[in-house]
Amino acid sequence: MAEPRYFELAVSPHVEGHQTTRKVMFDVVIALLPALAAAVWFFGPRALLLVVLSVGAALVAEYASLRFMKRPISFVLDGSAIVTGILLAFNLPPAVPWWIPVAGSAFAIVVAKQAFGGLGHNIMNPALLGRAFLVASFPVLMTAGWIAPGRWQQEGTGLTTSGIPQEQLAEIEGADAITGATPLNIMKQTYDRETMDSRMGEGATEQVRESLSSGGTYLNLFLGKIGGCIGETSGLLLLLGALYLVARGVLEVRLPLSYLGTVALLGWVFGGSGWFNGDPLFHVLAGGVILGGLFMVSDMVTTPVTPKGRVIFGVGAGLITMIVRRWGGYPEGCSYSILLMNLATPLIDRYTRPRILGEVKKSG
Amino acid sequence: MRLWGEFAKGIYKENPVFKQALGMCPFLAVTTSVENALGMGAASTFVVVCSNFLVSVLRKLIPRKVRIPCYIVIIATFVTLVDMVMNAYAPQLHRSLGIFIPLIVVNCMILGRAEGFANKNTVIKSLADGFGMGVGFTLAMILIASFREILGNGTWLAVNVLGERFHNQPVLIAILAPGAFIIMGFILGTFNILERRKAGR
Repeated sequence: MAEPRYFELAVSPHVEGHQTTRKVMFDVVIALLPALAAAVWFFGPRALLLVVLSVGAALVAEYASLRFMKRPISFVLDGSAIVTGILLAFNLPPAVPWWIPVAGSAFAIVVAKQAFGGLGHNIMNPALLGRAFLVASFPVLMTAGWIAPGRWQQEGTGLTTSGIPQEQLAEIEGADAITGATPLNIMKQTYDRETMDSRMGEGATEQVRESLSSGGTYLNLFLGKIGGCIGETSGLLLLLGALYLVARGVLEVRLPLSYLGTVALLGWVFGGSGWFNGDPLFHVLAGGVILGGLFMVSDMVTTPVTPKGRVIFGVGAGLITMIVRRWGGYPEGCSYSILLMNLATPLIDRYTRPRILGEVKKSG
Repeated sequence: MRLWGEFAKGIYKENPVFKQALGMCPFLAVTTSVENALGMGAASTFVVVCSNFLVSVLRKLIPRKVRIPCYIVIIATFVTLVDMVMNAYAPQLHRSLGIFIPLIVVNCMILGRAEGFANKNTVIKSLADGFGMGVGFTLAMILIASFREILGNGTWLAVNVLGERFHNQPVLIAILAPGAFIIMGFILGTFNILERRKAGR
């Protein structure tokens, strides 16, 4: 019979948190499920297939890498590969061929994560680097392949990939030219007024712009009834997931708030045709900033740990996103902005390190 | 037999790219196809052999304090020769290598051999060393270019090897700049694993 131990000695840490990697990761998976349901509802069972393939490939790649590097195989089950797989699939257009998520996930896990030393050592967000790999390698497949939500159920659901309600679209001349594009594609086109006017008739740019800023469009954008990547369209359900994470203490609000706030502010400053007449709501709702802002900017490994650093990260990423949207070569800059700020994270952490209790501030 | 050793060390034991990390600029920049790699490898080999020869011949004449400018002048002479000859007889290759031909002047593999070997060894040994380094550099270039061309274009020396479907939808990133770094990382990693296995035995 064991003696009761009254004076147990132990080394620090003496206070342990209740969070484990596994718990956190599975909370994130749960938080992503509503958006996944929306994806299946809007883009059909194919969306689910792509997500499953992506997660499967991520798990296999994780297992193979751990095996190769002789690390504990049990790391496969910590859930981080599942999160990477889901997030990568969420970043793909719904009509890509089946091997795209497989290749992207394998790259994300092997190159972006395990080659750097595994979870906790990766410098950049694996899912986003996987997406960057796919965009650089297969530019045609990754920038086309948008489908109108609900198209898989029946023709004529009244929904368009642009998010502009159909009755409004009917009033715009040359509307065919903008029915197959995502809202951000169209926003990008309106920045080049001359080309758009010459193709669709005088004053078309203003008309399109107005339609993008109408209540009907906002509603479609918020609910996710638009063309876009598999998991990025439904702001409402992504927010729902994020609220769950906040309640569970997994998501820290500084990062998303500073990121989305910067996007909104800059959307107003230079997101329109001139200065200070942009549409902040449109810029937050369209494209991937809600997905990116809630689930990728907040990645624990690749973003700063200090409160001040997190705000700097969010503002910086928001700035880069808007610069790409307005002047860059792509309609959306969310993923690149986060990757670039990931690279700056060690620097941000170093310069925002809080003073240790009792440390004297160096003068000069 | 000693001469053979001076030659052979450049191929694996002291390979300029994989063991000394010299000449990275052309190694990363022009290896988008095996043809480019061969052309660049041949040009660099010519220059490193000739400059090793001349530096070794003049090693007692060159004042120590101005040796680096002297090496550069010698190297630049041979690079200019290569530049002109290639422009005359292989204009296509000259065009695809572009600025990287004149840039052979600042390839640190060549300057490194002049400073580190030719400057203190006999002419014959320096020739063998230069030739070995040149061949090692060329082989390294061909190795990475093979990966890049096969993955990024589906071809090897412009011969289709992975079928028509892959050729039409290749992994483009392999022939872009990031692909060069990623593939180089994996090759260097493989070499480290091999080294470690050898050391562990």
